[in-house]
Amino acid sequence: MAEIAVWGVIAALGAATFATRLSFIALFAQTELPRWLRRVLYYVPPAVLAAIVAPQLLSGAPGQHAAPDAPRVVAALLALAIAWRTRSTLLTIGLGMAALWGMRALL
Amino acid sequence: MPSPNDEDRLARRSAFLAGARACLPLLPGILPFGMVCGAAAAGAGLSLGQSFALSWLVFAGSSQIVAAQLFASGAPGWVIIATGWAVNLRFMMYSAALAPHFRGFSGPRRWLAAYLLTDQAFAVTLARILDGRPGASWFYLGIAATLWLLWQISSLAGILLGALIPQSWSVDFVVALTFIGVLAPLLRDRNMIAAAVAGGGAAVLLDLPMKLNLMAAAVAGVAAALLLEKLWPKSQSGA
Repeated sequence: MAEIAVWGVIAALGAATFATRLSFIALFAQTELPRWLRRVLYYVPPAVLAAIVAPQLLSGAPGQHAAPDAPRVVAALLALAIAWRTRSTLLTIGLGMAALWGMRALL
Repeated sequence: MPSPNDEDRLARRSAFLAGARACLPLLPGILPFGMVCGAAAAGAGLSLGQSFALSWLVFAGSSQIVAAQLFASGAPGWVIIATGWAVNLRFMMYSAALAPHFRGFSGPRRWLAAYLLTDQAFAVTLARILDGRPGASWFYLGIAATLWLLWQISSLAGILLGALIPQSWSVDFVVALTFIGVLAPLLRDRNMIAAAVAGGGAAVLLDLPMKLNLMAAAVAGVAAALLLEKLWPKSQSGA
C-alpha cells in the first residue's frame, strides 16, 4: 500500500472509532440506545475476540490446508483456564508463553 | 472560608486524582498490551510516525492489532477500516451507558471524554457508579487520561523495541494470549459462549477474499448468540 494510502486508512479508522465513542455522549445525547442494537453490541466483543484468536492457533492460513498447531492449542486452552480463574493478564501471558516454549522444547 | 465554587473545584480535583490512582491495579495488563500493539504495528512495516498515529488516533488495542495484521497481509484499505471499526463497535454501548453522567460537561469536555473512552476506563467508572459514589465524571476523566498517557508510552516502547525480539520466541503468540485474557471474563453465560465459539469457528473455516474472514466471523458469532437467545429465551442469564 502506498505511504499516503496507509495514512488515509489510519486516519479513517481513527475517525470511525471516534464516532463510536462520541455517539451517545455527544452526537445523540438525547437518544436512548435501541434495545435490538444493545443486544447486537453485547455479543460483538466475544465474537470478535474469538475470531481474532482462533486463526492464530493454526499452523497455516485459514481455509482448506490449515491444521491446528498442537502446542499453541494446548497453551491457549491453559491460558483460557488461567484467565478465567485469576483474571490476571500478566499471569495469562506469562504462563501461556511458558507453556508454549516448554512444549516446543520437549516436542 | 472557602466559597461553594472552591469546594466544587476541590471535589472535582479529588475525584480526578482518585481516578488516576485507580489505574494502578490495571498496569500489569495495560503496559504489556500497549507494547504488543506498538510492536505489531512496527512489525507490519508501518513507519514510526504511522505506528504512533495508530496508537493515538485509534487508541484501541484490539483494533490496532487487527489493523496491523491486515496491513501486513495486504488487505485493501476499506477492509482494514471496516474490520477495525467493527472491533470497536462496543464503544457505542459504553458511550450510551456513560452519557447521562456527562450531561454536566460542556461540548469540548464531552468530546475529550469520548476520545479517551476505553474498556478499562468504562469498566472501573461503571463499578464506581454502581457503588453509588459521587463525582463519576471527574473520576472518569482522571482514569481515562492517565490510561491514555500510559498507553502512549508503552506503545512507543513497543514500536522502538519490538524489532529487537528474536522471531524464535514466538512473541506473536502474546497477541493471542492478550486477547484470551480479555475474552475469558466475558464468557459468563451460554449466549456469550455461543458467540465466541461461532465467531472463532467461522474465522478458522472461512477463506474469504480480501481478508473479510474476521468481519464475516463477527457477524456469524453475533447471529449465533441472537439465534440461541431467540430459541431458548428462558434460561437466558445475560445482562
